[in-house]
Amino acid sequence: MSAADFLNLFIAAVLLAGVYAAMSVGMTIIYGVMKIVNLAHAGFLMLGAYFVFEAYDRFKIDPLLGVLLAFPVFFFIGMGVHWLLVRRIATSDQPTLTSLLLLFGVWLVLQNLGYLIWGNSDRAILTPRTLSSIEIGPISFPTIRLAVFVVAVASLVGLEFVLHKTWFGRSVRALMQNKEAGQIVGVNVNRTAQIAFGVGIAFAGAAGGLLAMLYSFNPDFGATFQLRAFVIIVLGGLESFGGVAVGSLILALAETFVILILPASYQPAIAFSLLVVALIVLPEGIAGLWAKRRRWA
Amino acid sequence: MGVKEGGNVGGSSVSRFVSVVVPLLLLAGLAAVPFVGTGPNVIRLLFMTLTLVTASVGWNLIGGFAGQISFGFAVFYGLGAYTTALSINGGIPPFSAFLLGAIVAAVASLLIGLPTFRLKGPYFAIATIGVSEAVRVVMMNVPFTGGASGYRIIDKARFVQSHHYYTALVLAVLAVVISILVRRSKLGLALIAIREDQDAASDLGVNPFVAKLIVHALAAALAAAAGGVYARYSLFIDPDGVFAFRNGIAILLMPIIGGIGTIWGPVIGAFVYGIIHEEVVANFPQAHLLIFGSLLILIILFEPGGVVGLFQKFMRTVRARSSVGSHS
Repeated sequence: MSAADFLNLFIAAVLLAGVYAAMSVGMTIIYGVMKIVNLAHAGFLMLGAYFVFEAYDRFKIDPLLGVLLAFPVFFFIGMGVHWLLVRRIATSDQPTLTSLLLLFGVWLVLQNLGYLIWGNSDRAILTPRTLSSIEIGPISFPTIRLAVFVVAVASLVGLEFVLHKTWFGRSVRALMQNKEAGQIVGVNVNRTAQIAFGVGIAFAGAAGGLLAMLYSFNPDFGATFQLRAFVIIVLGGLESFGGVAVGSLILALAETFVILILPASYQPAIAFSLLVVALIVLPEGIAGLWAKRRRWA
Repeated sequence: MGVKEGGNVGGSSVSRFVSVVVPLLLLAGLAAVPFVGTGPNVIRLLFMTLTLVTASVGWNLIGGFAGQISFGFAVFYGLGAYTTALSINGGIPPFSAFLLGAIVAAVASLLIGLPTFRLKGPYFAIATIGVSEAVRVVMMNVPFTGGASGYRIIDKARFVQSHHYYTALVLAVLAVVISILVRRSKLGLALIAIREDQDAASDLGVNPFVAKLIVHALAAALAAAAGGVYARYSLFIDPDGVFAFRNGIAILLMPIIGGIGTIWGPVIGAFVYGIIHEEVVANFPQAHLLIFGSLLILIILFEPGGVVGLFQKFMRTVRARSSVGSHS
């Protein structure tokens, strides 16, 4: 393998990691605030893909603009789902059976609504951008991947800004660190949870739209990405935003470079293998590793 | 999750009598089915339902008693099916083949349990979602079972439908007996303590890690035996059939519909699921998981005890009415 090939693969992995981070961050924020593993994430990824597809197909809205539109639309869908279902179940400092099963039910409903509405044939979003590529010397990569990467990173920067500069962001971070202490200093838990759920779903929908520009999709689309998002947040220690970035990069690198040693058909098993390794080697994720360092220092 | 205990509803001798006699009557009815001339299609439906009962009762051991939700029981079902198929083709008698399948699945269950049961939190549930996809992908690609194109079983014995039916019936009864024994054993108490509060359980001298590993292996073995019985009946299996994620979903839905954490809930749930599934799939092939998903949401929000929970509520109301009546 030449240095140029290596660099090409590396750039592909980094570009992929951006989308992976956008896809996983919604799950982290919901887990952090409510201690709920959002098993319906896959369903919203899939709905996001079809949202962007339909916007392009019917109203000729540019897919990148469609992704931006997905943020507010899915934010309100998420708030609605929280109001209708999620707020009715008890939460604790560990994910409860009830929450896992409820959101699993939501996933089943969304996925099969998808089958009813769009059938089971594969769709793809094809724009003039899809096939063009940028070449810098020996390195080349598709324009669409760069565009998707830029949107994903911009949305993450926006989220970071919200989390650090607004009252909602402070409430979210307070609840992630210590729920009781947060309540004592006056954080409205229910309100924050509802908005956090909305934000989590908004990121799921938008990330689904981004993924739909890279891959073809059908109503079963989200499942494999949901597993990847789990792996990423476990690598990142479940409730750390920095951990999500590192976890995304690790998974994207592993998936990109593994084609050098294994046939591509094994690729879907990579995420799971990485999960098992992560659980054995670093049960508290990478963030846990840092915490341990700090304790030793 | 307000899981109520099954059995011992009122503690009166009448209800104890009913809880022994009704299952025995049902069993006698099921055993008589091949003699009443219902036709092969009804027997096929009941055969499938009985294999589902076995898997569902197995799932309930780990999911219901110990409160560890698994989305990946398709792995054990599939491993049981494939091990049985390979063994039968290798000349091993069917019952030893089922046993081999159960052993392989029990070993596989340790591979999932060892990394995840040490940790508190959602790791086990998450890992089980990944494992069925990973195993399915591997099985699609391994050459010695024919990969994605599936695997054919050459059973030397003549095909007699009622033999298969009675195998499934005996296995289902065995599963229920194991479930009752586990529930009444010290292990069963330990599992319920773990479900309610793992920290408190380990303070009282329960080893949650070991208890969960044991019951997970037992549950996996039952699901695998069910898969093996199915494989021997269908004579052809492929990864998309037996390892499909939707099988894992079905095995999880049945105990929840019937009543999670109870003895009879998973049995009732399997019959409800088996019959609804047959009707709904025939009429709305795309909508059946939509219906089951909605049902799951409704059960979780309104009656976490499932059919058994509803029945207990109904009995309490009746008893309250009748006791008011006797006092007046």
